[in-house]
Amino acid sequence: MDRDRPDPPSRFNRRSLLQAMAASLALAGAGGKRADADERALPYVNAPEFVVPGKARWYATSVGFAGYAHPALGKTYVGRPVKLEGNAEHPATRGATDAFLQAALLGLYDPERSQAPRHLRESATWSALDTAIAERRAVVESRQGEGFRLLTGAVTSPTLIRQIDALLQRWPKAQWHVWEPFDDEPRLLATERILGRRLQPHFRLDRADLVVSLDDDFLGPGPRQAVQAHLWAERRMAFQAGQGAARLLVAEPSLSATGTMAENRLICSPLAIPRLAHGIAHALDVVSDRPPGLTDRESQWIEHVAAALRRHNGRAVLTAGAQHAADVQALALLVNEKIGSFGATLIFTDPIVAVPPADRHDVGALAEDMAAGGVSTLVVLDGNPAYATPTTLGFAEAMEKVEFRLHGGLYLDETARRCHWHAPLQHDLESWSDGRAVDGTAAIIQPLVRPFYDVRSIHVVLDRWLGGTGSDHDIVRATWSAAWKDDFADKWQDAVVHGFVPESAFPPVAATVAERNMASAVRPNAQGLVVELRPDASIWDGRFAQNAWLQETPRPISKVTWGNVILVSPQLARAHGIESGEEVRVEAGGRTIVGPAWFAPGQEADTVTVTSGYGRERAGLLTQQFGYDAFSFWDADLRMPAVGATIARTGNRLTIASTQPYQAMDGFDFVRSVELPETAVKKKEEKESFYPERQWDSPSWGMSIDVDLCIGCNACHVACVAENNVPMVGKELVSEGREMHWLRIDHYHEGDPAEPKSYFQPVPCMHCEQAPCEMGCPVNATVHSHDGLNVQVYNRCVGTRTCSAYCPYKVRRFNWFEYTGSDPDSIRAMRNPEVTVRSRGVMEKCTYCVQRISAARIAAKIAGRPIADGEVVTACQQACPTQAIVFGDVVDPNTAVSRRKAGSRDYSLLEEANTRPRTTYLARIEKGERK
Amino acid sequence: VSDVARPAGDYAGITREIVDISLDYPNRRAWWICFAGALLLLLSFFISVAVLFWYGVGVWGNNIPVGWGLAISNYIWFLGIGHAGTLISAMLLLLNQHWRNSLNRFAEAMTLFAVVCAGLYPIVHLGRPWLFYWIAPYPNTMTIWPQFKSPLTWDFFAVLTYLTVSILFWYIGIVPDLASARDHARKRRYQVFFGLTALGWRGSARHWARWRQSYRLTAAIAVPLVVSVHSEVSLLFAAGPIPGWTSTVFPPYFVLGAAFSGFAVVSMIAVVLRHALGLRDLVTERHLDLLAKFLLATGLMTAYGYWAEIFDTLYSGEPQDFGTMLDRLGGFYALSYWGAVIANFVPIQLLWWRRMRVGPLPLFLISLSVTIGMWFERYMLLASTLYRDYLVSSWREYQPSFWDWSLYAGMLGVFFTLFLLFVRFLPVISSFEIKEALFEEKGERHA
Repeated sequence: MDRDRPDPPSRFNRRSLLQAMAASLALAGAGGKRADADERALPYVNAPEFVVPGKARWYATSVGFAGYAHPALGKTYVGRPVKLEGNAEHPATRGATDAFLQAALLGLYDPERSQAPRHLRESATWSALDTAIAERRAVVESRQGEGFRLLTGAVTSPTLIRQIDALLQRWPKAQWHVWEPFDDEPRLLATERILGRRLQPHFRLDRADLVVSLDDDFLGPGPRQAVQAHLWAERRMAFQAGQGAARLLVAEPSLSATGTMAENRLICSPLAIPRLAHGIAHALDVVSDRPPGLTDRESQWIEHVAAALRRHNGRAVLTAGAQHAADVQALALLVNEKIGSFGATLIFTDPIVAVPPADRHDVGALAEDMAAGGVSTLVVLDGNPAYATPTTLGFAEAMEKVEFRLHGGLYLDETARRCHWHAPLQHDLESWSDGRAVDGTAAIIQPLVRPFYDVRSIHVVLDRWLGGTGSDHDIVRATWSAAWKDDFADKWQDAVVHGFVPESAFPPVAATVAERNMASAVRPNAQGLVVELRPDASIWDGRFAQNAWLQETPRPISKVTWGNVILVSPQLARAHGIESGEEVRVEAGGRTIVGPAWFAPGQEADTVTVTSGYGRERAGLLTQQFGYDAFSFWDADLRMPAVGATIARTGNRLTIASTQPYQAMDGFDFVRSVELPETAVKKKEEKESFYPERQWDSPSWGMSIDVDLCIGCNACHVACVAENNVPMVGKELVSEGREMHWLRIDHYHEGDPAEPKSYFQPVPCMHCEQAPCEMGCPVNATVHSHDGLNVQVYNRCVGTRTCSAYCPYKVRRFNWFEYTGSDPDSIRAMRNPEVTVRSRGVMEKCTYCVQRISAARIAAKIAGRPIADGEVVTACQQACPTQAIVFGDVVDPNTAVSRRKAGSRDYSLLEEANTRPRTTYLARIEKGERK
Repeated sequence: VSDVARPAGDYAGITREIVDISLDYPNRRAWWICFAGALLLLLSFFISVAVLFWYGVGVWGNNIPVGWGLAISNYIWFLGIGHAGTLISAMLLLLNQHWRNSLNRFAEAMTLFAVVCAGLYPIVHLGRPWLFYWIAPYPNTMTIWPQFKSPLTWDFFAVLTYLTVSILFWYIGIVPDLASARDHARKRRYQVFFGLTALGWRGSARHWARWRQSYRLTAAIAVPLVVSVHSEVSLLFAAGPIPGWTSTVFPPYFVLGAAFSGFAVVSMIAVVLRHALGLRDLVTERHLDLLAKFLLATGLMTAYGYWAEIFDTLYSGEPQDFGTMLDRLGGFYALSYWGAVIANFVPIQLLWWRRMRVGPLPLFLISLSVTIGMWFERYMLLASTLYRDYLVSSWREYQPSFWDWSLYAGMLGVFFTLFLLFVRFLPVISSFEIKEALFEEKGERHA
């Protein structure tokens, strides 16, 4: 394939994007086989012990994201990982996952990954690279590390920290820089200033009857999402069960997952957050002066919040988004101290992420030094600063001045292309490493499979700079054998088996306020528009751009896939005559972004939100050609909103691949609300059915989804994709309404678009007992099973699509083209062997993970016992960090799902269609507290 | 002389006038031009189907929620058009309406070809068209029957039955005329062709007796089909629990719409044929007048269906139904709704005047408008219902793609090709029935 020539924009060629991917994957398939060609591989003359074809084995490991290790259990068949699930034993996550973890599997199998070292963009060998490193090492050594710079992402790995320490000790003049575009730094800076010590705050949301969030999307995407969502849900469920309160008050400029779940949401400019923090601090007598410039509305909100914080003293917490400056964080700390959060709802530990010893350790300093010629050797490991830094830093240009540049990463990305050497790194799922979860619990990362390609662990690459020749396994063991000494063998075994090191979370540190004097953080209101940057909910800063599962995951609120949009408020759109999907130009301080505008109900009138990760150079088939580059818009500090911006239409219309073009729920009751957990939800009368009622034997399956707990995080959605071999179709087909997702998460807003209520509602197949699809199908391809499932018989389906036409929920998906037949070997290897791969022309849909039901039934039959409650866990249910989804036998009244369905909040979607769905919902609860 | 047909000469003259069209076609140049156009369209059919079968249904604009698109609305449209033939032939035969004799042959042929086009659509629209026969109840190793609750199963039976009966009725009716053509043929290849197709018809009294029995019997079978087939087809929509479809008015509404569109197409063909083949004495102003009256009557009945639907919606007060009504009146497909209302019901009001009814050009234009209007209606009923059903989250617009349209053009090609071949090679008007009617009228007059 000619890599430099874009595909012609004709229909077939555009659609063949994924087919083209397939073509290049086919080449990669040859590489994939290398996994088998390991020197220690044995032919199956005598079958290896424990490896039973068709029987899954589970291994505990972790997947890194923004430095943190996210614990996971990897399901493998004959050595092939096919699914990642949460590790329920893990003390922090307790089995919770997020979309990034679920999608890591595709990252492992991605044939577009860098597969061999490169020198000056030509293929090279590891021995050549080793030689080059050895030569360079001699030069660096002679200068005691002068001019040697190492740049990494956030690091929690004890082994990597040990290696870097060793490097810095050996070369005292060398420097280590860390760059993570979206991190917690202001919070840690604030602890340094206020508490006199650099500490990591942890919000114990499970203990907080009241959470006040100042533009902190703690339920939204990020490395802490799974843990925080889990804790929040724990409190919410306790409240539902009658214990305490679970209130959430939010002030934010752009609707987030957290804002969606809030009982009260103040829409405000990002510039107002400092004065709100200041105002709350003032109302609680933390600071003496009242902030200037508060509007009436803000003052009222502050009073409301302050009163609530006072009332929930000791069981409340105030959080401010990590993108807000240290001053704001400091105010939040002081308020938290005042309301008795310390040690209760807010605990501190030593920082989990390692901090380089030098003061000037950020990427800006590195760029300056490079530009000034002070850097002669640059080693970038696991990062892409040439793209994911503000363009004004001039990082990419400054790099040119460095004599020797080496990049280690998974992809041949923008940074790799600007380096002399590129070292392809191993994916976490194929390497030995370690890391810490967000609470500090250490984990040994073990490979689920031998590396597919000619790649090396980050530890091995760094070890070469230290003159070592060890393997990743040896290097990681060395770290822990030094720590555990005599107990090493047992502890190692235990940690590897369980996926984490017990009791290794950082202990809470008692914090006391050392400094109360605060400079005012208040920022003046700006003329014009305010533009804020947020990480993309699916591809973050662009690091997951190559992951088709994430690309095709609709963003939680906008439901846009394959590209980023410019979120504008309905008021702003009206004022400028902007239509959703229309191209606009946003300008501020001489820099511009040109991209598609998208209506964002609930957006602050004059705030424009842009997201990162797109507008890339071509680094892989899926990275280029989508979206705009938001990094190019920013000055050195990505956190600082750009002010005085203007917006104008360009007159172009762009194709936006949204999975839900209409989101206004007005006049309908798809998502129902009740005031308190005990309030009965409004139901419509069940109509007589034409068909006879059937009696169901136990077990008969059903699902209950609590929309009061769903934060729209997409973990279930991606888990479903992974579990059920759901094909991805690409931007063009999504924009035509042909996405294949079996489980979608609808997002609705209700009321005035300027200040709407907002809801998430996951919609899998309802498995109706009176299913219209079953009546419509002429060939019996969709029928009811003995245990209550509405099953789709793929090989009987002729593709009349009547079932979909008759489905009131439109959960059925049709194979308009042959999506799977041309999949390359590597993607085939990833498929779940328990789930049929569908061919062209057949309908498919959610099966309630029938393969898991069958597995449980077989296991129960062998053991001669009934299937226990909780034995069948669907993929979506397992993935959910908030336990919003419960599945089980609906005939047995004692199962968890039956108990939920017996509750007063249980209702069916579209009762008027008289379909008797087996998937039912629990209504949203409006209040977080019983009076 | 009959007040229906006004043949120029005697009985032999009638035979000659009709049979000679096949044996020595009068206006070959015009025919060839038309046929070339039809073949071009037919080419579009083959290309469109090839593309469709090679890549899959995805080449069309269909999506979720609008999983059915132009293919299904065209299917209903074609099938509806096909209804007029049977109605004119069988029903009027049984009612002894002699004036039908000038129209029935080409109306039947039109029916036949329209049903062929209609029948092709559901097959090519399948995701896996090569397995279409699974809808049929046949003994199979899978021991699975079709699903008899599904309207599609009955659709399959209905169309197949209709096709079979239409072929039989048309063929039985044409046999005596094929024999006439055989007897008049001078060229060997015509003699062989008509000799074979006439099935050895000699015109004996016993032949006529048997023929009359079978023809009347087939007509009796065909008449209920006029009602049942399109009622069945309407269930394709009405059986689904989708607001805008699930309505009991659909079966009669569809049948009347079918007759309406069918009469429109018959009128157009009548006007064109009498002009092109010089058959003004056989297809008279009186025929046009009668067709126009039928058109007006069925049109008004169809309009009643529209009104009944709106009344139903307002009377029931179901918010979802109300939403669908608003979507039709002012939504994405409002053009198709108003297109249907205006093209169907405004021009036919001209037919209250006799001048318009007997004028070939006005009748042709009004009929064309109805044909287009009924196409809009079928499209509107499908698209405006599916694109916004229950859940706001699944709302999405649908637009036919290039390959949707090219297949439609191709399907018209199939129709025109078959019809032009019929006009060229077979007796387009039933000569013996006209002669018979003439004789009977004369006899009556003598008595």
